[in-house]
Amino acid sequence: MAVIISLMLFAITVAFNPPSFNANTLNAVLQLMLLLSFAAAGQTMVLIGGGLDFSVGALMSSAAILTTYLMNGQDGKFWLVFGLAMLMGAAVGFLNGFCCIKIDLPPMIVTMAISNVVTRVGYVLTQGSPSGWVGPSFRQSIVAKIAGVLPSLTLYALIVFPLVFFLLNRSRFGKQLYLMGNNPTAASLAGIKVNKVRVLMYIFSGMLSCFAGMIGAGYMSTARAQIFDEYAFTSLVAVIVGGTAFTGGIGSYTGSIAGALLITVLSNGLTVLQLSQPVRNIVQGVVMILLLILYNRARPVRQ
Amino acid sequence: MIEGVRRAFERFRRTPAFMGFSLFIFVVILNIIVQKPGQFFSPRNMNSLFSKNVPLLLTTMAMTPLLISGTLDIAVGIQLAMVNVVSVMVFQQWGTSLYVGFLMGMLASLAISAFCWFLVSVLRLPAMLASYALIYIVRGINVLVMPSPQGRIPDAFYKMYDMLLGGVFPFSALFPLVVLIAWYYLMRTRFGRNIYAVGGNPRNAFAAGINPVWVQFQAFMIKGILTGLGGIALTLMTASGNPLQAEAYGLRSLSAAIIGGLGFGGWGSMACAVFGTGFLVLIQNTVYYFFSFLTKAIPGFTVTSYWQNLVSDVIIFLGLLMTIVTAKGQREALRQGFVRQFKRRERLGD
Amino acid sequence: MRGIDKRYDAVVACNNASLRVAPGEIRALLGSNGSGKSTMVKILAGLVKPNAGEILIDGEPVTINSGEDARRLGISAALQDLSLVSTMSVVDNILLGVEPMGRLGMVDRKKSLEDVMALLERLHVDCDPEVYVQTLMPSAQSMVEVAKAVYMKPRLLLLDEVTAALHRDEVEVLFELLHELKAQGTAIVYVTHRMSEMFEICDTATVMRSGETVADVKTSEVTLDEIVYYMTGQRPEAEAAHEVHHMAPEAREMVLEAEHIAIYPKVRDISLQAYKGEIVGIGGLEGQGQPEFIRALFGAVRPEAGTIRYLGEEVHFRSPADAVNRDIGFISGERNREAMFPDRPVAENIFAGRAARGMTFAYLSAKAVRDFAQAAIKTYNIVAGSIYDPASSLSGGNQQKLAVARWIALNPTLLLLDDPTKGVDVHSRREIHRILRDCAEKGMTIIISSSENEELLDLADRIYVFYEGRVSGVLSGASKTPERLVAAMMGLANTENNAVKEAEQA
Repeated sequence: MAVIISLMLFAITVAFNPPSFNANTLNAVLQLMLLLSFAAAGQTMVLIGGGLDFSVGALMSSAAILTTYLMNGQDGKFWLVFGLAMLMGAAVGFLNGFCCIKIDLPPMIVTMAISNVVTRVGYVLTQGSPSGWVGPSFRQSIVAKIAGVLPSLTLYALIVFPLVFFLLNRSRFGKQLYLMGNNPTAASLAGIKVNKVRVLMYIFSGMLSCFAGMIGAGYMSTARAQIFDEYAFTSLVAVIVGGTAFTGGIGSYTGSIAGALLITVLSNGLTVLQLSQPVRNIVQGVVMILLLILYNRARPVRQ
Repeated sequence: MIEGVRRAFERFRRTPAFMGFSLFIFVVILNIIVQKPGQFFSPRNMNSLFSKNVPLLLTTMAMTPLLISGTLDIAVGIQLAMVNVVSVMVFQQWGTSLYVGFLMGMLASLAISAFCWFLVSVLRLPAMLASYALIYIVRGINVLVMPSPQGRIPDAFYKMYDMLLGGVFPFSALFPLVVLIAWYYLMRTRFGRNIYAVGGNPRNAFAAGINPVWVQFQAFMIKGILTGLGGIALTLMTASGNPLQAEAYGLRSLSAAIIGGLGFGGWGSMACAVFGTGFLVLIQNTVYYFFSFLTKAIPGFTVTSYWQNLVSDVIIFLGLLMTIVTAKGQREALRQGFVRQFKRRERLGD
Repeated sequence: MRGIDKRYDAVVACNNASLRVAPGEIRALLGSNGSGKSTMVKILAGLVKPNAGEILIDGEPVTINSGEDARRLGISAALQDLSLVSTMSVVDNILLGVEPMGRLGMVDRKKSLEDVMALLERLHVDCDPEVYVQTLMPSAQSMVEVAKAVYMKPRLLLLDEVTAALHRDEVEVLFELLHELKAQGTAIVYVTHRMSEMFEICDTATVMRSGETVADVKTSEVTLDEIVYYMTGQRPEAEAAHEVHHMAPEAREMVLEAEHIAIYPKVRDISLQAYKGEIVGIGGLEGQGQPEFIRALFGAVRPEAGTIRYLGEEVHFRSPADAVNRDIGFISGERNREAMFPDRPVAENIFAGRAARGMTFAYLSAKAVRDFAQAAIKTYNIVAGSIYDPASSLSGGNQQKLAVARWIALNPTLLLLDDPTKGVDVHSRREIHRILRDCAEKGMTIIISSSENEELLDLADRIYVFYEGRVSGVLSGASKTPERLVAAMMGLANTENNAVKEAEQA
């Protein structure tokens, strides 16, 4: 359904500003949409499992900085960077999961606090000015165009999307994740090791966020501090728009991808309409609130 | 007499503020060691401590009624900025006195608080997500009101903020003092009992005839006033306007509140807010002095603000970790006490 | 109260029920599991609205829509699940909603503090009134709950199982207070399952069964056996002392042995054995520790004392996953909270058992899940639209069959069930029984706790009856009769019997 709305929105945007309908815009929209989809992958998992990962943005930024620094404009470092990024994502993800279990605070606060620490570490390591560029062939693998419109980034998607699909829909882990998200008590009583599943989902989210950060670095070709921090919130919006409930147990990655499309088109539309940044901020906030109202399930005090 | 003191201490030990109090005392002692008492308690130092941190303190105090009544609003930080820009812009563009600007800022704060109350208390949206979305909205409003940092408030105002009354008492400390007195009064009204009931067990509060939605509205209004005061203090402190500042105050004040002992409903007090903020502020102080000591002691060792920020945030994180451990510990100890009694009665035959 | 009807979806809580109390009268409200007595109290307290019927006070009809209304009418209640705010102090709780006002809108605590302290002293609650309720022992908390109800000097006082956590001396203190209130003209409704108490303090009794009011008697004119008959439809047949039947160990393989299990706060000392191929029943009134005990066997709850031996070796399950890995299954009667995944498709719900065990990243094809689910649906006659419908779309009975299918497909060695057919239609219930019997015949050991005596008598080879946290009787073979079961449920099978008979004469 989100896809339909996206198309409608896009049509409206074009109607307002016909010259904006060209291969370049389409390409840009697709690139951003795919990047957001990668960021939303981990967030989808965590939300389905009943949690929330606010460190998506900070991890993306950190991975981006790591990528540009290590590659330093040279080729051939891809696997090294990839390995390190995955390690970082897994480590932070483990910390997220572990703390969410042990600390009684809402996951949003815990992951927020951890993401702050991650950002600060990034500042310390780069002394506030990240350096380097991504390797040229890596960049090419992201921004080159196929048939003039489709970004070669899509090839990465061809790996990531099926992987996430497998994890969510075809693996035992995915089944446990959905069950735990829908009813943690029943899941525990059914013999599912809920703590293990929780930690795993945060680990996956961390790793996927770092991967998204690498891709983001490739797209932007350099990175500055906190460059992708916004994605913490936008990934959340994309996932919820896509039909995943913030209470857990419902949702799908395809929905999140559609949600990512919608958000990107919306954002593009706002730019095309030349709405200023503050208005866009307000729109983002309002969209989230509308979503929360739409999916609201809280029961009143009196029954 | 001793018995009375002992009893009072026992009572105090059970209050939520005890943990925050202990942490606060600990960090004060640390500071005294690092800074030497003469310098630490000097009026200049106190003035500096207060004038820089009163906005944060007021924000944490604003968080308190919300937490006690069972909700929260993490957008308080950016709302401080909103009060700041509204005040400055009204003063600047409308040519009125800064007092009118402050009044408008306060009204803006109340309006946003009412909106947040509507979302969280009436529509029952999840507070964290809804208030985080609110951050974006307020951010946008701020920039629309004041597109870029600007403005300058009359010298008289910010000089007054920085001054020492009678050479001893920081002016800025008046703000939290007034709030504490007002809170002391409020706690002794029915409202004071009601917010604890609503936060602790909304169903039972409702059964006792209390209306949770109305009580939360009052809590939000108080938060609006306190946020307004915080914004005023911030304006006096920075002497200008900046639409995108203070956003981090949201999470920091929440962390300060939790470290000080506040819980998510029915547990905690304004003292917790004070002690928690005090802990956070003073521990950063300690870190700063520790680092400058290292710089002097180890030649060639430089520390940037990046390191300091990192250590601050790590401490906040550890503080959060630790508080829950102690809360769990308290609960476990309580339960174990019950279990022991339970077993004892078993053996004695019931 | 007249003609009160209350329905919760398909479950009828009250059916044309009625209740009458006069000033200065202490009336007992009695009933077994699901009789509707608690609902009646909740209606009077303003927590529940009846679907039909009327309530009259002093002959005038009234509507009670909230706790506030009840209070204004002079009704106050002390409930079993306390209406206290545990994070507030004792004094604050007692004064909640009725704080006396002083100057400047401030609460005048000093004045009322004296009254509160006096009340607490009368109830022998020996604590600092400023302590938080959550730090008090459950018995003290119950007393505070009573104090809160009494403080506002009600005209009608409702007490719902308040003595459950109290000890004998505390109960005496409470009774003294009740006598005083009675002399002052307060009408009191006293809900209890302790027959001795009822005879001791109550003047009259109303008995409810299955939502209907079946009797309205004077306690001085009725015998214990008659009361029990009204409550359950059976005449109790107690033995002076119960014998615990130990099966001759020869050919029987012991699957589970639990010894002296204690779980705070409901389970005091329970020992139980289960043999291969047996169906062991656990019966008793609600809240006697059955659910806690079963969950301890499953690893969902940790006992404070006692040992559990499974297949000969001592086990300490730290979580249900441990138990599941040892081939133990658990089916809960609280479907919504503990067994169902309401938004997940039926197929996934059935598959949940298979999802819990095995390699975490194993590939599970959609076909595997589908086939498994369809086989289960066929075998267990589950009525569902499509296997991809959410589980919440199924009826209660089918949901329960789903839960049964989930576990039986794993072929566990030991299957634990906690009131599995609560709220399930007769047809589904019979089917589930049939399934369970089949499994037992094939060698599965089954322990089933139930609030329905018929179910226990039907299914179980042996029945343990829990009363006040202990085993009050073990019925098997010849002694497995409805009358003995009821007697054990009421705790009449041992010394309790004498206390009751004594009180009866009084």
